[in-house]
Amino acid sequence: MVIGAIAEGIARGVETVVDGVSAPFAEPAIRLGVTGLSRAGKTVFITSLVANLMNRGRMPQLRAAQTGAIRAAWLQPQPDDTVARFDYESHMARLSAAEPSWPVGTRAVSELRLSLKVAPRGWLSGLQGLRTVHLDIVDYPGEWLLDLGLLEKSYAGWSADALARAARRPGGDDYAGLMQGVDGRAPYEETVAQGLAGGWAAALGVAKAAGFSDCGPGRFLLPGDLAGSPVLTFAPLPPDEAAPRGSLWREFARRFEAYKRLVVKPFFRDHFAKVDRQVVLVDVLGAIHAGPRAVEDLRAAMADILAVFRPGRNAWLSRLLGGRRVERILFAATKADHLHHLQHAQLTAVTAALLREAKDRADFAGARTEAMSIAALRATVEEMVRHEGADLPMVRGRRLDTGGQAAFWPGRLPEDPAHLLSPAREGAERWLDGDFAVMRFAPARLTLKPGEGPPHIRLDRAAEFLIGDRL
Amino acid sequence: MVIDLDGREAAAPGAAPPVPEVAETAFQAAVARGGRAPSRLGRWFWGLFAALMSLVLGMAAWTWVTGLLTAVPVLGWLAVALVTGLIVVLVALAVREAAALARLGRIDAIQEAAGRALADGDLAAARAVVARVERLYAGRAETGWGLARLAERQAEVLDADGLLRLAGVEVLGPLDQLAALEVEAAARQVAAVTAFVPVALADVATALAANLRMIRAIAEIYGGRGGTFGSVRLIRGVMGHLVATGAVAVGDDLISSVAGGGVLSKVSRRFGEGVINGALTARVGVAAMEVCRPIPFGPGERPSVTGMLKRALTGVFTTET
Repeated sequence: MVIGAIAEGIARGVETVVDGVSAPFAEPAIRLGVTGLSRAGKTVFITSLVANLMNRGRMPQLRAAQTGAIRAAWLQPQPDDTVARFDYESHMARLSAAEPSWPVGTRAVSELRLSLKVAPRGWLSGLQGLRTVHLDIVDYPGEWLLDLGLLEKSYAGWSADALARAARRPGGDDYAGLMQGVDGRAPYEETVAQGLAGGWAAALGVAKAAGFSDCGPGRFLLPGDLAGSPVLTFAPLPPDEAAPRGSLWREFARRFEAYKRLVVKPFFRDHFAKVDRQVVLVDVLGAIHAGPRAVEDLRAAMADILAVFRPGRNAWLSRLLGGRRVERILFAATKADHLHHLQHAQLTAVTAALLREAKDRADFAGARTEAMSIAALRATVEEMVRHEGADLPMVRGRRLDTGGQAAFWPGRLPEDPAHLLSPAREGAERWLDGDFAVMRFAPARLTLKPGEGPPHIRLDRAAEFLIGDRL
Repeated sequence: MVIDLDGREAAAPGAAPPVPEVAETAFQAAVARGGRAPSRLGRWFWGLFAALMSLVLGMAAWTWVTGLLTAVPVLGWLAVALVTGLIVVLVALAVREAAALARLGRIDAIQEAAGRALADGDLAAARAVVARVERLYAGRAETGWGLARLAERQAEVLDADGLLRLAGVEVLGPLDQLAALEVEAAARQVAAVTAFVPVALADVATALAANLRMIRAIAEIYGGRGGTFGSVRLIRGVMGHLVATGAVAVGDDLISSVAGGGVLSKVSRRFGEGVINGALTARVGVAAMEVCRPIPFGPGERPSVTGMLKRALTGVFTTET
């Protein structure tokens, strides 16, 4: 096992050095890591970003698009031969249909490469022709992202955390009951293991439905082609280091390590290790609606996940020797179209405070970070409605459940994010100051002029921050 | 001793003003001194002096005209007609000057509002600024396309800086190009005269005339067409801006053109002087653009002195620009 780790380290080192040496001669590729938990809006973000980069009429805040430096955009077959292509066309067709609907949840990894022809700028611009810049984006099920937090943990540590979390959540009691009849020191039996794993997966499903984020391991909810394999047949048991060889506890610990080694590590290595720009999409509004515990859960989950990435600057030499670092990180609160723009500043502040740990770490390492409220696909319009003698800033759109038009105001977000985050950290049951509603809007029917991408909020600003300096 | 104040509202230390510092920094002192209004006595002096002089002049003209009317009535009536005509023209001039000053004042007000909207990130204020810019340039042929595109996009931009930047690029972009052409022409003229005309002081006269004409032309392009007093105010504004930003601008941009002039001066001293004079003219032109542009330049949007000088000087030696 040690030899395996060393061999893997050497192989990766050789790969980075080869990449570093050949990079100046190859066409520059930006690897954009889109990180977000399930339902954060990754697929819509990627679809809308690609659509708006291909038709740049609605991207005034992306400087290269505004000045016309981007001459052409082409959706290429991606460089990885073994990964499915991101199905841009059918996602776009769903969003621009006569009865538009949101894309269904992603169930497998897919990738795409958007190639841009860019007019060079700077004092040598007269000597060069058009440059090509590739933008590589990966889409994947958000549940799997949770696994990245496992990389740093042992089975005993993870079990303790997971059981403590489950005790406070709906569905946790059922699993605790299941665990009562099981002895971790008993010899391992596959039927018992199957029962426990099934029970754990069910508990995760219940917690996720209640709005909790940290429902790992991710493959339990979305196993893909690993369903039923031993690597997915384990569950947390109370830590018991004295368990004998061949016992249930030992076998689960072994499978946990195997899960990390065979499932999580390849996923991280193939899709995230070489990322140089990262956007962290967080559905802050949804978590606030679900209550203080969901907010704290989201905070902890994102802190665990983001600890895996290495932020910093990519100097020429350090890239050659130490592999890539994430140079720019955008912390984006998605679904900003569910709020009037007067409340966007508060939403941004809550997002920044929620992801404070990761942001400080990245800032300290020399990466550039920014927080923003965005909506990749804008589904509402803003309206001032007179209500009880005062003007209330509301948004209006088509309800997802009934299909009728509705105006919506989610509640007053506090100026100081600590008013939300402190009760969440202390484990309050519900918000003291008021209630926050959330409404699910359906995408509006699109009528696009030639050269216009789908409507959005600040997607152009996000793109400028993430890739603007390389165009 | 403790006094309980139960009925009072809770103290809010977060909203309280900061504890005053005793020590005053040199910068604060300088700002306070510079911001002080001119002395009251001086203003009284100039006001009384002007009133007295106009009284004297008016009385003199009045006695002269009435005297002439009694002595030679024909000439007297001619004098009355001339004086009336002069007064009418003076009033017309005053109106024109006032209109010019008002135009400059309007651009100043927009500039200030834009600066405040940018600092606060206030979208409503930014939208108001953009509406004023739209009104200012509504009838101009150069901005027609830009105004149409701005009208199409502005509802979608929900950031103050993004909106002002969009208006700056779409509406003011064509005007920026016209102004840059003026600056290049002036820089070229100054550089060429310095390099080629062997008469002493000819370069000084040319530089002065070209700079003044350039500043007025730039103001006219941005909609601040000025009369005499307007021009004086404009030039004061440009000079003030140069003094305030001078050191910074030399550091970022001008140094390379001056250093380039150094290389050229090895070939010919007069050519080197020409390049430096051209660079200084271009710097004045950029300052004039910054003073006259209703929306401040965003990061990376300010035209570079080096780039303009390069285009201007290639124009000396080649006919195409």
